[in-house]
Amino acid sequence: MTRTSPISRAVRVTVVAVLSAAMLVPMYIMVVNAFKPQQEILLSPLGLDLATATTDHIAAAWQNTSFPVVEGYAVTLFLVVACNVVAIGASVPAAYTIARTPTPLFRFVLFFFVAGMFVPAQIILVPAIFVLKALGLMGTLPGLVLFMSSTMIPFTLFIFSGYIRMLPRSLDEAASIDGAGRQRILWTIVFPLMRPIVATAFILNALSAWNDFVSPQLILGPGSQFRTITTGVYAAVSTYTTNYEIVFPTLLLAVVPILLIFVLMQRHIMGGLSAGAVKG
Amino acid sequence: MARTTTTRRGLVSGLANGLMTLPAAAVYTGLTVVPVGYAVYYSFTQYNGIPSQAPTWVGWDNYVRIVTDPIGDLRPAAWVTLVIAVVGAFLVNGAALGLALLLRRTTPFNTFARAVMFYPHVLSALIVGFLWQAILGPQGAVNNLLENAGRSSWPFLSDPDWALVTLVGVIVWAQFGVQLVLYLAGLQAVSPELQEAARLDGANGPQVFRHVTWPALAPTVTVTIVTSILSLLKVYDVVLGLTNGGPGDATQTWAYEILAVSFANNKVGLACAQAVLLVVVAGILSFTIIALRRRAEEGAEAVG
Repeated sequence: MTRTSPISRAVRVTVVAVLSAAMLVPMYIMVVNAFKPQQEILLSPLGLDLATATTDHIAAAWQNTSFPVVEGYAVTLFLVVACNVVAIGASVPAAYTIARTPTPLFRFVLFFFVAGMFVPAQIILVPAIFVLKALGLMGTLPGLVLFMSSTMIPFTLFIFSGYIRMLPRSLDEAASIDGAGRQRILWTIVFPLMRPIVATAFILNALSAWNDFVSPQLILGPGSQFRTITTGVYAAVSTYTTNYEIVFPTLLLAVVPILLIFVLMQRHIMGGLSAGAVKG
Repeated sequence: MARTTTTRRGLVSGLANGLMTLPAAAVYTGLTVVPVGYAVYYSFTQYNGIPSQAPTWVGWDNYVRIVTDPIGDLRPAAWVTLVIAVVGAFLVNGAALGLALLLRRTTPFNTFARAVMFYPHVLSALIVGFLWQAILGPQGAVNNLLENAGRSSWPFLSDPDWALVTLVGVIVWAQFGVQLVLYLAGLQAVSPELQEAARLDGANGPQVFRHVTWPALAPTVTVTIVTSILSLLKVYDVVLGLTNGGPGDATQTWAYEILAVSFANNKVGLACAQAVLLVVVAGILSFTIIALRRRAEEGAEAVG
């Protein structure tokens, strides 16, 4: 490929190494300070004295009643799975129909769905609350799942229909001649071929469900028995922003699972993002 | 394309097609389309959200109030949001493109660096806000270091102007990883032969970038600009964690004004008018950018 001198290569590696280190400084500060008492955090925010390091504050954050950590993980994980089941489950048949029926009506249906990508979720949240109230789903997990899924459907459906259009139609026709019905063709032939794009949609929807704060906060309500990771952190930290013995351990507990998943899956996560945005 | 000639399908088949779009249509219509309709309706009413009190129709009053009120309501927030969107989009795209060019080759070191640049994006924006508040706040890590070194502390979050600068910086830190991944994907589409040919013709690095790489990246640039501006226009969570809108209203964004001020104070009609206006602005901005970029993208086809 391109020729590069050893000097420019060395400069490049140094610049990238310094920037990478800089990107990680906030994580470093969070991790070391989660093991220190307040006084020490204030005196030496960057150091870690192993003699005085303690897990007491992490244990306290783990037991904090305003952010029940295990339940927070469980509720958030439930949202990730349930929203994906609803959003992907509903988008697959709709995208299949739209992709395989190139009539003006279904082109309009696709446009109708895609328009939703331009509506910021926070904006419809206020009126959506009144719809959920009317349905009797306000303050419930099903209501939250339905709302979050509806914000995921436009993008999911859009990339699915684009992908299905690339799959040869002759597959469907062959299966149809063999006597398979429409649902059977979709779920046993087309859906398995969609694995890469389903993975992309799953990853992107999972990230947005995992990190969402406004929807659970407003739909479940601040006093809800269900706390997600984000609403739990908000409840635990927002009034104690200068009590670093609470702030750092709580934030650490909140980010550890997603960072572990990211480290294990980073190729898929970043690959899914570029596939979704460029090929979609 | 193996597209059969559009035969007249029977009513049954049409009905079956309709049924397959029904679940998606029901969820999407019920919780996105209908709320958009309600938002537009409420935006023309005075409504406090209390069920026993019906909305009263007031026409354009909410919009007039937003546009004419010299200091109240939306104007400072719209300004803050505009600064975040414009400055933020420049910085995010600049940082992302620069790093994409540095990291375009797939080496183990570069793969590691890409992951490091991207990781803030997997953290919730609220947590990013709280984390930086603990680092840059008046008693945060950086100010403690400054004071321990005998210097005076720096008003990252306590001075109105600096708070906005800090907010933009934190947003850029958290967001440019996404655009970086998009630029890396776009760079893969730039023909290596063309770049090599330009080099053989005597072009230096910047010239190759200017005349080959940059034009070929045009479609990617459009996507990255539009996606970054759309996400910058609705910044809310990170504000809540970092500054909670303060000091004063120096970092209150448009979305913050809607959710934390108008809606929280039971001004549902006003909140909806602000929300509708935000969607309109976001739409106008995206379509303008896409239209402006069309010529650059035609150039890309000529190069590619």
